[in-house]
Amino acid sequence: MNRTTEKTYALPIGPVHVALEEPMYYKIELDGEIVRGVELTAGHVHRGMEALALRRNLFQNIVLTERVCSLCSNSHPYTYCMSVENLADIAVPPRAQCLRVVAEEIKRISSHLFNVGVMAHVIGYNSLFMHMMQQREIMQDVKETLYGNRMNLSANCIGGVTHDLEAEAFAFLLDGLARLEPEVARALDIYRTDRMVVARTRSVGVLSREDALALAVVGPVARGSGLATDIRRDAPYGAYVGLDVDVVVEQGGDVQSRALVRLREIQASIDLLRACVRAMPAGPTLAVLPEIPAGQAIARSEAPRGELIYYLRTDGSQTPNRLKWRVPSYMNWDALGIMLRNAKVSDIPLIVNSIDPCISCTER
Amino acid sequence: MIVFGFLKVLLGNVAKGPATEPFPLGPATTPARFRGKVHMDPALCVGCAICRHVCVGNAIHISERADGSGYDWVLWHNTCALCGLCQHYCPTGAISMSNDWHNAHLQAEKDEWCESRFVPYLVCERCGAHIRPLPTSVAGRLYADNHVDVARILRLCPQCRQIETALHEGVRHDDQRVA
Repeated sequence: MNRTTEKTYALPIGPVHVALEEPMYYKIELDGEIVRGVELTAGHVHRGMEALALRRNLFQNIVLTERVCSLCSNSHPYTYCMSVENLADIAVPPRAQCLRVVAEEIKRISSHLFNVGVMAHVIGYNSLFMHMMQQREIMQDVKETLYGNRMNLSANCIGGVTHDLEAEAFAFLLDGLARLEPEVARALDIYRTDRMVVARTRSVGVLSREDALALAVVGPVARGSGLATDIRRDAPYGAYVGLDVDVVVEQGGDVQSRALVRLREIQASIDLLRACVRAMPAGPTLAVLPEIPAGQAIARSEAPRGELIYYLRTDGSQTPNRLKWRVPSYMNWDALGIMLRNAKVSDIPLIVNSIDPCISCTER
Repeated sequence: MIVFGFLKVLLGNVAKGPATEPFPLGPATTPARFRGKVHMDPALCVGCAICRHVCVGNAIHISERADGSGYDWVLWHNTCALCGLCQHYCPTGAISMSNDWHNAHLQAEKDEWCESRFVPYLVCERCGAHIRPLPTSVAGRLYADNHVDVARILRLCPQCRQIETALHEGVRHDDQRVA
């Protein structure tokens, strides 16, 4: 809808290169350089993955769902496998559950480091961006050494995990975490107090607690606005049942708060990883698979961007009858309408980046 | 002081020197678990086709030769997603992921850029039928509790194998009865 009046004019932004190299088209209604309205047009990277899933069997869909998004590429197959396991009542062995949490938290750390790094890039602080990306390399190396790939871990399969980690791998992980921990503490200090970061991010793109509740935002966007919501604690699954998940909350509701939530969540993830390694149960890493019966099931998990839901319906064959997922980014897009209201044009990419949008997830 | 905190970080990074690996002038570290190009060992393949079943990109093709001499197992690298599910589900460990990440090749070579293996059928010693080879490791597992001549069994088709085993078992039972 075109609401452009005599006082305002429309500015097209996108579809490419708005903070991230993912396509989303924003039609911004401007009054001078102040944003008065925003209209989003999606659909540039729709790949028809839900339809593709119906043409592949339950095993092939593990890999298909891993390709929905690269930054949360472990959360998708993890949640998909959980939906199959819920449907067929498969009891995943404790060691496999613990190994799944290890993979999930490693991916969360990498994802958050990427987002806060890109934030520094958007505000023109490129040396900080380079530094954060270099720290992220620690986790990239961990992923490559433990799982064999820097992004797609291929860690999950129905009924367990595809890999087993030996003491050597855990030692490599703990060594990486020990190197990362002081860097995250230092980064937290910089993101909290550095004058340049504060000047560009504090009180920018504010989403109040009330608005966050009304829009039902999820993940770090909700937690940055003071909402203590986290599926890992609220509806624990897998090995999270026995883990003490620290739900990180910041009250500011601005770009800085969301960045701080992500940085502090990295610290919480480091603690979770150490707890997992300490309490890693022995035993098998795979359950014996039964016939997958006809039926339907859902599974929920806390992806790096928030709550991820999978719905699966089967008809007794090996190919799903329906596979649907609701991604966290989908819930967070609407919040941009509020965050961008009365913002400056130059802050648009910064605010867009602060919800850590995943367009390939949203459109799949 | 403006950006003083970060200045220290920056100076530390300068002191550390380049963070990137000097490839191609120096070696690039590749971890042992790295999932590179798929490799298949025809000596271990039993032709169960679970790899083809779980392959999301349909990169694996298995086709029997017209003369019945065996089957071709072909994986097209350009369609392979390097997910490793074929390796994970392979019951005999015939499929492995190499450390080879050198994937550049000429456009003209793309069709031949495959892992292509021929798995020959054996001929049954008793009846002459074509049979799928059974790797010694798998046979050892299958016949662990049977006192049969595994080497001989492997050269027989399933039907002749049943007969051979039954004859052998029968003799053994007769022996026990006599004792």
